[in-house]
Amino acid sequence: MTVPLARRNLFAEKGRFAISVAGVAFAVLLILIVLALYRGFNRTGQTFRDLPGELWVVQRGTSDPFHSISLVERERLDPVASMPGVQAVVPVLARSMNFDAGGTEVSARLMALDVPADVVSDELRERYLPPEGAVIIDDTLRRKTGLTTGDTAQFGTESLKIERVRPRSPEVLFQFVFVNFADARRIFGVGDVVMYGMVILEPGADAQTVAGAITDRDPALQVYTKEAFAASIAKEMDETFLPVISILVAIGFIVGAAVVGLTIYTATIERTREFGVMKAVGGSGGYLYRIVLSQAAILTGAGFVVGAVGAWGVARLAIEAVPEFATEFQLTDLAGVFVAAILMAVLASFMPVRRINSIDPAIVFRA
Amino acid sequence: MNDCEQRHILRATALTKVFGEGESQVRAVDGVDLQVCPGEMLLIMGPSGSGKTTLLTMLGGLLRPTSGTIEVDGVDITALKESRLTPVRRKSVGFIFQSFNLWESLSVQENVELALNMAGVGGRAASGRARTLLEQQGLGRRLQFSSRNLSGGEKQRVSIARALANEPRLLLADEPTANLDSKHGREVMHLLRDLSRSGDRAVIAVSHDQRIREVADRVLWLEDGRIKDIGQLVRDPVCGASVEMDNAIKLEHEGRTYYFCSRGCSWEFQQSPERFKAGAATSSVTA
Ligand SMILES: Nc1ncnc2c1ncn2[C@@H]1O[C@H](COP(=O)(O)OP(=O)(O)OP(=O)(O)O)[C@@H](O)[C@H]1O
Ligand SMILES: [Mg+2]
Repeated sequence: MTVPLARRNLFAEKGRFAISVAGVAFAVLLILIVLALYRGFNRTGQTFRDLPGELWVVQRGTSDPFHSISLVERERLDPVASMPGVQAVVPVLARSMNFDAGGTEVSARLMALDVPADVVSDELRERYLPPEGAVIIDDTLRRKTGLTTGDTAQFGTESLKIERVRPRSPEVLFQFVFVNFADARRIFGVGDVVMYGMVILEPGADAQTVAGAITDRDPALQVYTKEAFAASIAKEMDETFLPVISILVAIGFIVGAAVVGLTIYTATIERTREFGVMKAVGGSGGYLYRIVLSQAAILTGAGFVVGAVGAWGVARLAIEAVPEFATEFQLTDLAGVFVAAILMAVLASFMPVRRINSIDPAIVFRA
Repeated sequence: MNDCEQRHILRATALTKVFGEGESQVRAVDGVDLQVCPGEMLLIMGPSGSGKTTLLTMLGGLLRPTSGTIEVDGVDITALKESRLTPVRRKSVGFIFQSFNLWESLSVQENVELALNMAGVGGRAASGRARTLLEQQGLGRRLQFSSRNLSGGEKQRVSIARALANEPRLLLADEPTANLDSKHGREVMHLLRDLSRSGDRAVIAVSHDQRIREVADRVLWLEDGRIKDIGQLVRDPVCGASVEMDNAIKLEHEGRTYYFCSRGCSWEFQQSPERFKAGAATSSVTA
């Protein structure tokens, strides 16, 4: 145990210490929230991962399910159903669409699955397959629109009843509305054309082999694994959001480092004489640097903890107010921000350490 | 003196410090030779700007001399690198300042403990030693006090305890009583004298303070950076300043000669000699 000088120096000015911790906490909070939002938004397309199909058959040239249109004649899917390794092919109708939710126009992604009778299960029915005249929405859409079980909404020509509200899904941009296939055909007016064929594989079948076989047989088709199909959305998001996010994170980092730096720097200047006395009575350079670094570490550490707890609290509160405020805190992000905080402390110590270097211990004898 | 030759704690030879260049050059210390022995209390006096602080700062290894050599506790510190100088200051020298220079965010005990921490002593050993030193200074009841809230005299005693923490052989004090009232000033001076007597130690103090002279073994008069062997130093009975007998304003009164620093003082004396007669004194000052 040695004298906790760094702590004493910081706590000697309690008000400033509190403000500085708040400043660092704010920076950490900003960074964490931005990252968590990014992670949250990046889970857009999760619905494709949750659906039972391992492969998605689309029209050749389709880049992703949200931004390009795939039109596949139904009969092109029929031969796929009998290929080795394929248990079933589910024709899928999907498009985004504005609908009238009691006076307000809302955009959602309508999806209808024509699941063959031999693969329908209660679970599928519960989550994705409403009866004719009904739809299944998720909780985010319920909160956005106020529509709830038993209400009706106008989708194109059809007036459909909310059959069920699914728990919140990670779809932030567009929520999925699952429609009965027959209704969808009427709403879309597309006859025997569907958008995708969702392929359910037999247990043990190799997805890549089946995908290769499908395109070999019909070059007009293209096949995505569900992972790739979902990722194609995330890729789009990355291209749009990553630069913005990087800038926000960088700003947060700079703000944090500046707050710590300024605080430690002023604390050092104020105590120039005291540091000079330390040098005079035999404190080595390393000893003094350690004091400055400990001060920075205490400040950033406290700011990090307050910021992390604050970010979590803000996320909790925000989602109550804004249904789309989908955040996902990842341990790797938290660890990354922690490392960034350490870097902040080191950077912030740079100026004060230079200052300490320049203190001439001979000042101690000057009144 | 011969004995001291062998065992000296400090020896400075032809010590010189020049500040600035050309026109604005100042020879703050100019060819000072000095030797201090164990058990000795040396007082350095002289007018303002005569180089006392500069000399002390060099002796403590805080300022490099322009020329000359300094040997502290057997180590020639003149050319030591800063990194080698630090341990010398830590172990061999204790500093006492006019403005105390305590670490104000720390408690009384922590002020002493920190000095020990710097020398690699920590934990119980450090806190125990800090307590003992402070108790010796009569501060046993102030250990956990914030050092900021102490009186001047208490602060100076804390700083003395701190200076003693690593058992240095040389204590350097610059105007240690200047910020204290006369009672506490005297207390501190006697303390320093006792410290020089006990243990294998020496004290060098700089002061304007006439009261200190009585406790010093030797007084060194510095003027324009040089040690002046002025033989006789006299005290102005009015203002108490030390004046060189040769340069002083002289006045005969009732068969005795009185010396003054200025005409003002001698005039004041003439108005009411009875008031000031007791204040006159002489003493010899040598290098
Ligand atoms: N760092 C410096 N740079 C330039 N000149 C200096 C410096 N330090 C001291 N001096 C000059 O050196 C001379 C001696 O100064 P010093 O402080 O040693 O005097 P002093 O005897 O301690 O005076 P005082 O009794 O007023 O404390 C002065 O003329 C001062 O202006
Ligand atoms: Mg001085």
